[in-house]
Amino acid sequence: MMNSDWQALITTLEMAALTTIILLIIGTPLAWYLAKMTSRFKVVIEAVVALPLVLPPTVLGFYLLIAFSPEHLPGQLWQQATGQQLAFSFSAIVIGSVLYSLPFVVQPLQKAFEQLGDSLLEAAALLGAGPIDRFFTIVLPLTKASFITAASLGFAHTVGEFGVILMIGGNIPGETRVLSIALFDHVEAFDYARAHLLSISLLMSSMVLLAAIYWLNLPKRKNRNALVNNANVTEGKTNA
Amino acid sequence: MPNSPTDVFSQLIIKIAVNYPQFDLAIDHAIPLQGITGVFGHSASGKSTLLRAIAGLEKNLSGEISLANKSLTNTKQGVYLKPEQRQVGLVFQNSRLFDHLTVLGNLEYAVKRCKQSKLSLNNVIELTELTTLLAHKPDELSGGQQQRVALARAILAEPKLLLLDEPLSALDQHSKTQLLNMMLNIQKQLNLPMLYVSHSLDELQQVCDNLLVMAKGKVVNFGNIHQVIHQLNNDDDDAIIHQQTSLSLPIKEFDNGHGLTALALNAQQDIFLSCEPSFAQQSQLRCFILASDISITLTEPMNSSIVNHLFGTIKEITQQKNKVLLIVHCGSQDFFVSISAFSQQKLSLTLNQQVYLQFKASAVRTFIH
Repeated sequence: MMNSDWQALITTLEMAALTTIILLIIGTPLAWYLAKMTSRFKVVIEAVVALPLVLPPTVLGFYLLIAFSPEHLPGQLWQQATGQQLAFSFSAIVIGSVLYSLPFVVQPLQKAFEQLGDSLLEAAALLGAGPIDRFFTIVLPLTKASFITAASLGFAHTVGEFGVILMIGGNIPGETRVLSIALFDHVEAFDYARAHLLSISLLMSSMVLLAAIYWLNLPKRKNRNALVNNANVTEGKTNA
Repeated sequence: MPNSPTDVFSQLIIKIAVNYPQFDLAIDHAIPLQGITGVFGHSASGKSTLLRAIAGLEKNLSGEISLANKSLTNTKQGVYLKPEQRQVGLVFQNSRLFDHLTVLGNLEYAVKRCKQSKLSLNNVIELTELTTLLAHKPDELSGGQQQRVALARAILAEPKLLLLDEPLSALDQHSKTQLLNMMLNIQKQLNLPMLYVSHSLDELQQVCDNLLVMAKGKVVNFGNIHQVIHQLNNDDDDAIIHQQTSLSLPIKEFDNGHGLTALALNAQQDIFLSCEPSFAQQSQLRCFILASDISITLTEPMNSSIVNHLFGTIKEITQQKNKVLLIVHCGSQDFFVSISAFSQQKLSLTLNQQVYLQFKASAVRTFIH
């Protein structure tokens, strides 16, 4: 691989890592809220969260491009706060990725929280454990595998992103030029050798990551039903 | 029901309403915080809802609950203490142990969050006989063992009141007996008031001091366990319980030399039952005799294999379909006797008539032993 490809790899990993962290931070409370929610608006929020699964990435990218432009409020606010333009920046592709990969993190977590139920949390509360305490001592250990699944899927899906980034990030080396864009460049330039190299590395790393997730969800685990169901849900939605 | 200002410190006061489309609960009652109080009723009578309300798990309620003069809930004043702030323990029907922790881990979970820590962990482990199970994971334990862990864990949080929601219903007879004995023992040693929900009167009869009876979301009876059971005998509506005489009697002689234990009914009369080794450690015994297990004779049955015969006076005769329920006064104790209407006519029994009751030693039942 050449220097520009290494740079694209680093940008990709940075984008995916940051996106995954942000997704876990906002996805966990969102998934919790959805799992406990009984209002009829639940389906509306669920649909919004799931939208990126079915929406062409270019549609999402198009609307984000408009929103991020200096003529519109989100772009203006960003510019006032940071002094930088939002569109075609690293921040833009991270925000885009967060929206695009949201269901891959929220859905497995929501499913895990629903299956965990209230009974153990009630028991913990009656032993004197407050909400934060309960989350870290009961919820997190019992849904650990779902968190790993959610993080891995969020990360992998972000690495594989193309359409949204092309729309809102463009192709700025070291800023928004990620592996999938670099691959597209090589193909456009008929540099099939480098395209092959990038493709095979992306393919292998995705394969290894997914195999690791499924290994983690092997039925020997004690809360295997929860895990298998999580994997199925996510898998089904990915294929959709 | 005494309810003077001084004893609010020793009472659980409940004035609540819970409303659901299919079910309403309305309770205005004070329960003394001493011994074990049984809560009895059919399923869907509101027993579990009552416990959940006290524990703070029932959100959909209005009214007030106070425990030893500390307000847990007062919807008018906007007070609603969270479950973790109430110092109320709850042992659930399914033990709700934390599977990712060992038995010891489950117990320590309670100890770490307990503010007073007056109890010794080792003491509670011994009381609940968990010493050999500490390193196990909950899913390696039997149902009875899991409930013992749940009981120990609830106690270690050092609650001011322990609620037990059908803790024995999924257990076999041996485990039930073991756990009931543990509950009695713990109640005495730690002086921890308990509210014990069950649909099994046999269990409640063995351990409770008071009994609260619920039906359709309301309290329909409350008082001394034996008295309340005797009052339930008179409920015509096809028997919420098996009609019975509920007794708590001193052990006069552990073994009469023929394998029978003698209980002193009064100065003149004894009741005999089959001797069990566990009676040896006790001075008092809880037992019950089903009304259908007692028969009536007009003369003293001297030539019978039946060991128990008591002399008494008929106080009440109640027709119940093709049966007749008699209340017979023997010394200071009422006995409930159910005979067929046919037998009542044959013997032409009348009020204030003097009769003999007879029942076998095996008709004197204890649940625990």
